[in-house]
Amino acid sequence: METFQYAIRKLIGGIPLVLGVTFISFLLMVYFGPDKTYELLGKNPTEEQIAEIRHELGYDKPFLVRYGDYLKQMVTLDFGSSDSTGEPVSKILARTVPISLALITPGFILGNVLGIILALIAAYHRSGFIDKFIMGFAVVGMSISFLIVVIAFQIIFSSSYGLNAFPVRGWNASSFIEYLRYITVPTLSTVFVALGYNTRFYRAVLVEEMTRDHVRTAKAFGTRPGKLLYKNILKNSLIPIITRIMFSIPLVIVSGSLIIESYFGIPGIGKVTFDAITTGDQPVLKAVVGLTAVLFVLTLLLTDILYRVVDPRVSLK
Amino acid sequence: MRKLAWSLVVIVAVAVAGCAQEQKSNGYDPSLKVYRHAMDQAPSSIDPVQASNVYANHVVLNAYDTLYAFKYLARPYEVKPNLAVDFPEISEDLLTYRIKIKEGVHFIDDPAFPGGVGREVVAEDFVYSIKRHFDPKMRGQGAWLWQGRIVDLDEWKARGADYDDPVEGLRAADRYTIEIRLNKPYPQLTFTLTMGYAALVPREAVEKYGLEMSSRPVGSGPFKVVSYDTSKIVFRKNEKFRQEPVDIWYEGYNPETQGFSGVEAIQGRSPPFLDILEIDFIAESAARWNSFTKDNEVQYTGVPNEQVDNILLSKHPVTLKPEYAEKYFMYAGVEAGFVFQAFNLDFPEFGYNEDPERARRNKLLRCAVIKGFDWAKRNESFYSDIGVVFPGIIPPAVPEYDPDLPRWSVERDVDEARQLLAEGGWNADNLPELVYGTTSSVTSRQFFEQFRGWMKKIGYPSEKVKIKQFATFGDISKAWKNSTLPFVAKGWGLDFPDAENTLQLFYGPNGSPGSNDANYRNPEYDRLYEETSVMLPSPERTALYQTMNKMVIDDCVAITGLSRTRIMLWHKDVIAIPDREIVGGFFLKYVDVDRTGKADAGGSGT
Amino acid sequence: MSAVTPDKAAAAPMEQAAPAHRESLWGKAVYKLSRDRMGMIGLGIVLVYLIVAIGVWLGFWATEWGDVEGPKWAPMSAQYPFGTNIIGQDIFQRALYSTKTAFEVGLVVAVLSTIIGALLGALAGFFSGTWIDEIILWIKGVLDSIPFYLFVAAVAFALSGNPYAMHIAMVSTFWTTTGRLVRGEVIKLKNFEFVEAAKAIGVPQLVIIFRHILPNTFHILLVQATIVFVAAIKSEVILSFLGLGVQDGVSWGLMIAESTQEVLAGFFNNFVWASVFLFGLVMAFNMFSDALQDALDPKKVAN
Repeated sequence: METFQYAIRKLIGGIPLVLGVTFISFLLMVYFGPDKTYELLGKNPTEEQIAEIRHELGYDKPFLVRYGDYLKQMVTLDFGSSDSTGEPVSKILARTVPISLALITPGFILGNVLGIILALIAAYHRSGFIDKFIMGFAVVGMSISFLIVVIAFQIIFSSSYGLNAFPVRGWNASSFIEYLRYITVPTLSTVFVALGYNTRFYRAVLVEEMTRDHVRTAKAFGTRPGKLLYKNILKNSLIPIITRIMFSIPLVIVSGSLIIESYFGIPGIGKVTFDAITTGDQPVLKAVVGLTAVLFVLTLLLTDILYRVVDPRVSLK
Repeated sequence: MRKLAWSLVVIVAVAVAGCAQEQKSNGYDPSLKVYRHAMDQAPSSIDPVQASNVYANHVVLNAYDTLYAFKYLARPYEVKPNLAVDFPEISEDLLTYRIKIKEGVHFIDDPAFPGGVGREVVAEDFVYSIKRHFDPKMRGQGAWLWQGRIVDLDEWKARGADYDDPVEGLRAADRYTIEIRLNKPYPQLTFTLTMGYAALVPREAVEKYGLEMSSRPVGSGPFKVVSYDTSKIVFRKNEKFRQEPVDIWYEGYNPETQGFSGVEAIQGRSPPFLDILEIDFIAESAARWNSFTKDNEVQYTGVPNEQVDNILLSKHPVTLKPEYAEKYFMYAGVEAGFVFQAFNLDFPEFGYNEDPERARRNKLLRCAVIKGFDWAKRNESFYSDIGVVFPGIIPPAVPEYDPDLPRWSVERDVDEARQLLAEGGWNADNLPELVYGTTSSVTSRQFFEQFRGWMKKIGYPSEKVKIKQFATFGDISKAWKNSTLPFVAKGWGLDFPDAENTLQLFYGPNGSPGSNDANYRNPEYDRLYEETSVMLPSPERTALYQTMNKMVIDDCVAITGLSRTRIMLWHKDVIAIPDREIVGGFFLKYVDVDRTGKADAGGSGT
Repeated sequence: MSAVTPDKAAAAPMEQAAPAHRESLWGKAVYKLSRDRMGMIGLGIVLVYLIVAIGVWLGFWATEWGDVEGPKWAPMSAQYPFGTNIIGQDIFQRALYSTKTAFEVGLVVAVLSTIIGALLGALAGFFSGTWIDEIILWIKGVLDSIPFYLFVAAVAFALSGNPYAMHIAMVSTFWTTTGRLVRGEVIKLKNFEFVEAAKAIGVPQLVIIFRHILPNTFHILLVQATIVFVAAIKSEVILSFLGLGVQDGVSWGLMIAESTQEVLAGFFNNFVWASVFLFGLVMAFNMFSDALQDALDPKKVAN
């Protein structure tokens, strides 16, 4: 009950944030955004036709009215139909979000799990050769541009200049095998890039925890390394780890998959959103940005609640 | 961690290899005749009123019916009746058209119709379909084809676009007869009726589905759509499609150039021949090529630029290397369209100027830029050296093309360009800033960089040749339409094989926001355009077209032009002559698949 | 506190303690940094890049990066050390010229976002708990919740064609981390004696922020600036690939974007050389930045 009340309070507290995000996004992407009118025109248009299309798209309404309409759409979750294809936005989301999730999830999990494992190894051998080796590897990983990794991996794994073992681009999840075939190279790329950052971050967290007094004490009292690691170190590091993972989620869903999706030609939400930006498909943009903001607020809330589950001492005030 | 990643790769690779063996059938029942076509882009809408490009037309022309169509095999293109019984009955004054449509043709079954059963197609459907373009709510894009041409149609729109309100010049004389009355003769009218824009749409469906029509066709064409998204569209044969045996000789069959394809096999049979037609939209050329070379995926592809050098044995003429010729059929054709750059003459620093001396110098400046432009190199860099460079604005794809025009305007001569600049009194200090508008794609940027490099050679300082990038096509289109760019680089796809379609690009009254982005205004040119616009094809009309073409060349309005050569490949079990020009997609109903040969092709492939 | 004469007693520790604290920190840091072999190698490489960039800027080399007279896709040779691209441009000169672009982007974004982050972070920290803090936190929260590439794309479109759209977008998102760190530090600092004392003798708040508090966050700013520099260069690559990056000129990102079509035809020069140059600079900067962090970490200094 207390948690529930807290959640409600938090949700209400999130409203200004959602308003801010929607307002800025609306201003940038919709009001000053690309003008769809000129894509919908015929080959030899007249001034009159231009005005008609602007009217049809609602461009001729005043700013506040349009923003108000947007908020109304946010509340009712009805964003209308895409300006480009006429397909209802809800259908587009239903089609693309699962693809993005299926695409990103394995890499996201692997990247974090491997990152934590490597960080544990490095932290355990702190300042030793293994630590230096892993951290050196992490810096190299951090220094390579994501784009380079994607292009290079595609050449190495998928092209006739390399192993030619996987599809160059595209998406097919009709069977599990097909899914694995299409997801492997994108996943390897995301893991490769995320690993450097994750390892460094988790190592820093773990090292900090290891140097705490209670860990030293436990060690001095001869607690077994496994138990020490689990009970004293990992458990206490959970809060920063959770924070990192949770906050990655909303951004990973949209922008994390943008490069991957556009380079591998995967019809997920990242690509759809990017196409919507470049063609000025405002109903789609409005939905994506608005929902991302809401997702962000929900994440904030969920993170707080998770803190409490992990560590009951954290009070919900 | 490396070990981990590698073992992961190995596991997956083994699993995949193990299953690849069983992956021969392409997901369809093997007893069905399936053809998988590929295109490099998905249409954004497949509603006939929005069928603005070849991608949309590939779908629209197969899901819907048009009154007229292009003959399957005739090159240059010829029109034939399709849903219409015959060619239109045209009055003496060329103003009244009467078109009879075939009886007993039905729309496909759809919940939009009472009882879910497709009703008969009638003349009124055509009237309704054209009216839709003039109803702002429909977001149609084809109105420019008929605007100001059909009696009372523009007025109908002004009256509020009520479909129950009759239009004087566009009506159904009886159940099967369409009557069109024109304000002035419009010889291209029949051509416009071959386009997806003029396809027949049932009013019931539009009223039921509204904007969703753009992804949900209800027509009377040879195929019906089973599924459609941005990655592919799947059609099934329309079992109710009218039985009309093909006469390949009537369709323009030329055994010498087309005999290799085996299309003779369809003689006397009624299309469509396929059970399933699938069109995959694969934007990435590498993916398309991979899919094509895989034997069990798409059976057709346009050859991506980067593959051309790999697969060709020779370029003039275009021939395949034996290892490709053994597996695939090829057809190389010049596109029905061209790419060009034009000055926007509305800008006084390059174009028209009140000061006659400055106007004279401006012309010299434009001529110098044209002379400094290296079409041969452009062709080599981006079109594999197989594009056709031609002077003027009448491209090779139209019957009025003259291959013997003087080539001064398409041959680079740096010295002469410098001379022209000197003659106009231009030097590095007084040359005006040239803003080159472009989209942000890599290739358009490289077009710009190449242009700037050439200009540097003729003495145009690089810092005065500026790029202005537009993130979207819509935005650059807006700049063209509002005449805010001094220099326009674009391509034009022909809507029908008549030079009128490109000559209108320089007709004064079509100035911005119309299609005359150069804002060329030459009273003599405009007069000739108006004169020819009501003439039927004839040597006199061709001569006048040539005069207009020469005016554009002599006035140094545009750097023009190049028609790309497209190389198409298809698997040997497909019986077809593919084509993507003019409207696009009209050949698909004649495609057949030879399933006896399929085993052979598969055998030789592996 | 009331027992002490405000004038001298408060002023004295402030003027002595703070500089003394700073001196020791910086002195140790410089010493520690100079002993860090990887860090010094990194710094050396960065300086080499910097010289290349300055040379380009002064017009010493890479002046013909835009010329298109070479053959299409020439292989590596004495005339074209890295070969040419599809329109016959010299890839070597373009790679050199891009160094200048990278420094331009990196410096502009790093300097501006550090300044903004410092100012807003300091304000928020100093006035923590008040409406000023609330508003700054709100702005930060809003900017952080819009996916980065969407935001940049949106800014690029909104400023349609402005050559600095990319810089503006990066600055407006990159300052938030600096701001958060500075805010935290300032909250800590403002409870220190010397600040309390300055407040007590009535030094104006702005003066306290700028003269007494901000200088003490300088180590954070320096490290953050190097991190932002790297992030800016890396983002430029991706933005240029998406067509939202550098508009005039050339950059490694544009070269890599160009190369995506060339690699399919089997020509790797553009891709390889742009990647090598980019990797070199980013790696060197990362090494330097790491060393700087180690050197400036107060805890480590204290040890």
